[in-house]
Amino acid sequence: MKQLLRSRFVSNYGMVFVLILLCAYFSLATIDEQHPVSARAATKIVGFVNSRPTAQNVMVIVPSGVEDRRFADFVARGIESGDSRIVSLVAGRPADARVELQRLGEAGTRVDLIVTQYAAARWDLLLPPGRQELQRSFPTLGALDVITPNSYTWPTFLTPQHLLTVANQTALTAIVAIGMTMVIITAGIDLSVGSLIALSGVVVASMVGQMAGGAEPTLVSLVLCGLLAVAVCALLGAGSGMLATWFEVPAFIVTLGVMQIARGLAHKVAGGSKPVRVDSDLFHELSAGNSLLGIPNPVIIMIVLYIAAHILMSRTNLGRYLYAVGGNPEAARLSGVPVRTVVVFAYAMCGALAGLGGVLDASLFRTARASGALGYELQIIAAVVVGGTSLAGGQGKVLGTLIGALILGVISDGMRLTDVAYDTQLIVFGAVIVVAVLVDKLKSREWPILRG
Amino acid sequence: MHRSTIKYLSWVVALVAGGVALPGCGGGNGADVSISSTDGASSTGAAAEGDGAAATIEKRGTIGYSAMDMGNPFFQIIADHLKRDAAAAGFDLIVEDAGSDVKAQAEHLDGFIDKQVAAIVLNPCDRLSAGPSIKRANEEGIPVFTCDTQCVAEGIEIAGHVGTDNEGGGRLAGEAMIEALGARGGKVFIVDFPSTNSCVLRVKGFRAVIDAYNQDRTEGKIEIVGQQDGGGEPNLGFSVTSAAIQANPDLAGLFAINDPSGLGAYTALEQAGKADQVTVVAFDGHKEGKQAIKEGKFFADPIQFPDRMGVLTIENILKYLKGEEFERVTLLPTALYRKADAEKDPELE
Repeated sequence: MKQLLRSRFVSNYGMVFVLILLCAYFSLATIDEQHPVSARAATKIVGFVNSRPTAQNVMVIVPSGVEDRRFADFVARGIESGDSRIVSLVAGRPADARVELQRLGEAGTRVDLIVTQYAAARWDLLLPPGRQELQRSFPTLGALDVITPNSYTWPTFLTPQHLLTVANQTALTAIVAIGMTMVIITAGIDLSVGSLIALSGVVVASMVGQMAGGAEPTLVSLVLCGLLAVAVCALLGAGSGMLATWFEVPAFIVTLGVMQIARGLAHKVAGGSKPVRVDSDLFHELSAGNSLLGIPNPVIIMIVLYIAAHILMSRTNLGRYLYAVGGNPEAARLSGVPVRTVVVFAYAMCGALAGLGGVLDASLFRTARASGALGYELQIIAAVVVGGTSLAGGQGKVLGTLIGALILGVISDGMRLTDVAYDTQLIVFGAVIVVAVLVDKLKSREWPILRG
Repeated sequence: MHRSTIKYLSWVVALVAGGVALPGCGGGNGADVSISSTDGASSTGAAAEGDGAAATIEKRGTIGYSAMDMGNPFFQIIADHLKRDAAAAGFDLIVEDAGSDVKAQAEHLDGFIDKQVAAIVLNPCDRLSAGPSIKRANEEGIPVFTCDTQCVAEGIEIAGHVGTDNEGGGRLAGEAMIEALGARGGKVFIVDFPSTNSCVLRVKGFRAVIDAYNQDRTEGKIEIVGQQDGGGEPNLGFSVTSAAIQANPDLAGLFAINDPSGLGAYTALEQAGKADQVTVVAFDGHKEGKQAIKEGKFFADPIQFPDRMGVLTIENILKYLKGEEFERVTLLPTALYRKADAEKDPELE
């Protein structure tokens, strides 16, 4: 057992297995009925209607969702190409469907079939008692049989849409955690990232508002505003790094101070705690768009940054210096590593990535809040620790941090999907972090209790 | 790259690819049709004479509720009443706590959408940021009901809103202040919370009444000497009031936009030895606020009715699903709660 726990295999791949196990567990736990409104589902419906022996009067009723409308249009077109006839198509609220059915009833139109989907089939109006009531009021309405695509059983967790949602939700934490990993590898810590995210958000939001002056801002001005926000945060990060290394003030204290300073600046820039609006569809696209293969932009940014960070950490001198500084600063200095520059770089990078996080956040919500991202630094540090980076410095992998962030993201998402109460969610989350630190200890040296 | 790194990466890629590819193969047998006739009999289209794979609907579905902050008893009361009435109508209710964090609330809504809930209820954490999430729910055809706080972002559709007439409540608070200060008038300080729309409206109503009172008099005016952000919570309420009482030692009144910040303000007045000199009017009527009224710490509170918000929200959801008309926006009036009410209140000590 001791052998197994200490093996290189477990310390290198343990967290990947944990992630896979979690995904498997939440897949099993969320096996549920799925309700398709795909083109295939529509084709089956059309096939069924057109195979009926007599021509049918068909009504299509769906909610106003985008995919629901597409499904409805597809069904309507398919049915029109056969013998049957579409008497009405409603994509809207239950009240709209009721009004339309009453209108058809008053006009004396016969409705043999109602094609709909899962949610609308559960509206009172379309349940058997609701339809019976309609038939009593309007006997001319006819059979009013409701057809829906059949549901199939599949884990809600394990659908492409949902997995992308989880990755997207994790992206902000994961991106900032890259910088945090570098800082922690140099045996430091940065508590200011939450405040920097908020500061960057309000800087970019108010700059976009001012530069564009109410008009739709251009791409160039948006990029400039974003870069400015990132630069402000990088400067504050570099400031933390300088104080920590030149004056040998504990990073915990320095960044605690910068955390307050950045929060204060954020309130100043925003003019209080009111949300700052960003009225730009182009800016919203940065976070909300999914131009490449339907993958959300923040996920793509996250992947690109992790690849870059991995190369930086494993294949460049700078990467080796970061580990050296964290492992033994004195030895690093004696072997010619520019210790101070390296430390300042790590903090500046962490600040810049927090700045990028703030820009992404403001873009996603179309607003920035000076009081936003409160306590995010702890989630980000947790992702780094769960990913196997040692708080003692000198050890850790940036890809481990990605796994750590995904583990935390999957746990919180999985617990929501499985209806775990929010108080229990907090307890589980805390327990995961404690266990991760225990494992971290175990990797570096034995637990005293195992030494026996 | 190291060999170990490549292995590491390939695991992740395999995991993601597996997740994306599998539904494609699994969904193949899914898309048949089911038919339900009005006599309640159901059948499936592919197996016409089958044993009627029961598609009968007993469970009516799930409603998702994303609360602004469960640390505030106000939202707990809303949650309790939502849950009770949802269960009575055959719905499950999922309660999530956003802890005032916009990102957490957005994640709740993502989860509700992927769970295909019948309806979403939320207290938007601020008046704008919930917009994109609500828009996503709109695109999925899931009705969104807001409760207590409103979302004023553009281009979104809210199926129904139940809240408090906060401006009216603010006017009641102003009238209470006029009554307490009497003909003497005096200086009044406001502890506000500008990030929430409802609190902005409370101050608006309060100021309107005070302005109208001052208009036709030359002496005994009520002068509003300051307005600061108390964060809607005790600590900040304490700090801004401490500063205000130093700047205005002759302060006569204080209006706090909710009970927690009002209690913080009262502590500051007590510490400065000015608790007897300054009349505090707060807002909400939580149990702690009512207790403060009974103990004479607050003069009065316009009280809100979170229980009715929960009840009315479920009523609206049921009406929506029935296709009946209902008030898209309901603002419940507040009532002024005074010491006399507190003394009769069986809930208080």
